[in-house]
Amino acid sequence: MIVEYESKSSAVHRLDPRVKFAWMFAAIVISVMWTHPVYLILLALAVVGFGLLAGFPWSKIRGVLSFMIIVTAIITLVQGATYVPKTVTLDEPARVLFHLIPSWIPRVGPACPIRVGGFLYGIGMALKVVTVLVVVAIFGFTTSPSEIVQIIARVPFMPYQVGFVMSTAWKFVPVVQMQMRTLMDAHRSKGVDFEQGAFSEKIKKTSGIVLPLFANSLSMADTMALAMESRAFGSSRKFTFIRPYRMEPFDWVVLIGSLGAMVASILLLAVFKLGAL
Amino acid sequence: MASDIISLKDVTFSYKGSKRCALDGITLNVKQGECVAILGPTGAGKSTLACVMNGTAPRFMDGSLAGDVTVDGMVPAKVGTAQMASRVGLVFGDPDTQLFGMTVEEDVAFGPSNLGLGYESIMERVGKSMKDMRLSGLERRAPHRLSGGQKQATAIAGVYAMLPKIMVLDEPTSMLDPEGKARVFGIVRMLKEQLGVTVVLIEQEVDDILNLADRVFVMRRGKFVLSGAPREVFGRVEELRQAGVRVPQIVEFGTLIGAAETPFSIDEAVSAVGLPCSSTNEVESRAPSAHDGHDVHDEQDDVVVEAVDVEFTYPGGARALDGVDLAINRGDFVAIVGQNGAGKTTLTRHFNGLLRPSSGDIRVLGRSAQGVPTIELCRHVGYVFQNPDEQLFCTSVQEELKFGPTNIGADPAVTSQRVEEILSDIGLAKYREVWPKYLTKGERQRLALASVVAMDPDVLIVDEPTTGLDWVESLQILDYLEQLRDKHGKTIIIITHDMNIVSLYARRVVVMARGRVVGDGAPREIFSQPDLMELACLRRPPIADLSQALWGEVLLTPAEAAARLLAAKSQAAGVCSE
Repeated sequence: MIVEYESKSSAVHRLDPRVKFAWMFAAIVISVMWTHPVYLILLALAVVGFGLLAGFPWSKIRGVLSFMIIVTAIITLVQGATYVPKTVTLDEPARVLFHLIPSWIPRVGPACPIRVGGFLYGIGMALKVVTVLVVVAIFGFTTSPSEIVQIIARVPFMPYQVGFVMSTAWKFVPVVQMQMRTLMDAHRSKGVDFEQGAFSEKIKKTSGIVLPLFANSLSMADTMALAMESRAFGSSRKFTFIRPYRMEPFDWVVLIGSLGAMVASILLLAVFKLGAL
Repeated sequence: MASDIISLKDVTFSYKGSKRCALDGITLNVKQGECVAILGPTGAGKSTLACVMNGTAPRFMDGSLAGDVTVDGMVPAKVGTAQMASRVGLVFGDPDTQLFGMTVEEDVAFGPSNLGLGYESIMERVGKSMKDMRLSGLERRAPHRLSGGQKQATAIAGVYAMLPKIMVLDEPTSMLDPEGKARVFGIVRMLKEQLGVTVVLIEQEVDDILNLADRVFVMRRGKFVLSGAPREVFGRVEELRQAGVRVPQIVEFGTLIGAAETPFSIDEAVSAVGLPCSSTNEVESRAPSAHDGHDVHDEQDDVVVEAVDVEFTYPGGARALDGVDLAINRGDFVAIVGQNGAGKTTLTRHFNGLLRPSSGDIRVLGRSAQGVPTIELCRHVGYVFQNPDEQLFCTSVQEELKFGPTNIGADPAVTSQRVEEILSDIGLAKYREVWPKYLTKGERQRLALASVVAMDPDVLIVDEPTTGLDWVESLQILDYLEQLRDKHGKTIIIITHDMNIVSLYARRVVVMARGRVVGDGAPREIFSQPDLMELACLRRPPIADLSQALWGEVLLTPAEAAARLLAAKSQAAGVCSE
């Protein structure tokens, strides 16, 4: 996950996980369908509003966003320079907005024209990418792995153990990472320098960690399995989730709003081309 | 009369490929509501016994079980672990491997949820468990953000929420700081006295068991070698020692002074002393201490490692060190103590460059460590990690010892000679070709320590050298460290929660709390400051409490206290005869 789950009591955190999943699904579908930047900005604003309601820690995605802004700027310029007029329905898609190499540069300028259609298409693409990223981050921030297990477990014919094993494996990842860091520290303390040497040497040094990491992880997994079974894991076909799903009015508002917006955007795009460039 | 809820008759368990029986003809009957303590050295078969009671042996352990095992009217091996879970709750030593929820509430609910109970029933059980285990208010907290004691309390609450009639706790305090241990023992007392749960407690902390268990069983090599009421078992001092179990300090004191009746509490010990005709407080003479401390610290001024106004903040923003100033002198034996999360490990990892200060400076052998890589610093400062399995990488004991010296370019001939000496010193010469994984935990811990000693550093930092070890193994490790200090002039820094170890070996104690050094002095000085002990959530050994009660001063070992008493008595006898 881009942002780790945090246990909070915001209105979004309290939503039924299925509703949160429906919201994420609808937002991704809409952002994929729409190409017009104005519409995508409206969608992005709605997503930001949802994030504010959830108390989303925007600073935690600053790094990813900075990187994405660079990527999207490149996408915008590449699209602006290479667009195909037929892909958009604007009146003047071919109108040149500016040149990447301006006219005041002797001999080569003006060159590399950035056209209106391509530029807007590029901005739309960039907005799509950032919106999807933020939507997934908000979902991860507000939905605990155990809620995700509950979503999976409610898939017809799916044993709850499958979802639980997936969730446990997910939680196991940081534990293994910590083990790896400790093993590397223990190697460093015995004079192993992972930074020095040729590539093959580095591989050889790193491989020294693999065996103990594997052995320790297996041993830990074994203990966890024993502890899980000691708490009756698998003793009954039924697993009672401690947060029974009772759809509250706000759940219905978000669910109907999300799915309604998705259906409406599909219809309006199909009939009136709303949302398209 | 209560009936037997646990009945084991002539039970034998052998691990596949092992010639020795882990359990060898065990017979045990436990009545409902009883609290039974099982003691013994590592490898005695205690954990195997616990696993037999809930069916994890042989289910999870490759081996063969013989004899009759009946627990709450069921045969665990036939019924299966998961089905036994609502009758027998098993709690392990490491809380991190038994917490499964994203929140404390979810974790406590895990067991009842697996039983398929209704939502209302589960929440009722969760609420009661959390209240009984004093976890109320932590419902929404992520388990990994709890203290060690809170984590173990959560693990116990998770088992207790399944309403088992029996709870088996397998060394539940082995990884906890003194505050966490006190919390867990408080819970065990409550389970026994208020909730009527039958408790089987496997422990090494004999001082706490003394007044907690109804009956005590001592195991050795798969057999019970001693059993009976605590007073009966702990009174047999020599047999306890032979079995590799530490004798409770108050009992040891009673034996040393030749008390007619063995004392089992401080009050009983005070009565047993039989105060002489004049106040013993007036007596000046005192037996030589275990360690008066600062013998090296005061006399020498050869600083080997030093932290100068060191601050450290982890990438996530957690401030771990907050302006630490500390200088360690050559040849000293220093114990760094404090609650979990006080900053002990973070500080010592700075000394060999595994961590670098956010501000301030680390000095090694008088030179700033700034910019000096760990590969250089490790020649002077050796670091032994808490878990031996995280620092043993080679396929034989001998290779393991050569690994470090080879990496730092030591002379192969000198290395070979040193490896031979070390193998002999740590008693592992006969295992030189053995894969370290096949050694016992105590042997692996000794090997991990020796693998760093082989690099011949000036300073040895050993993080929690006795975790998971029995008393005899702990003494072997500490004796070896003392030998390295005395014979080879090494400076020893240990991080420990074990105040008995501190009393016996440390010359200097550095107390840390909330990322700062809050106390620094000889063990006697530190144990004499109740406010400091409380601030750092430490518990001094019982003998310190007893000597404080008797003479108003802190003594560190039963031998020291006994010598003090005998000196006081003989002086008082002289005064009376005059």
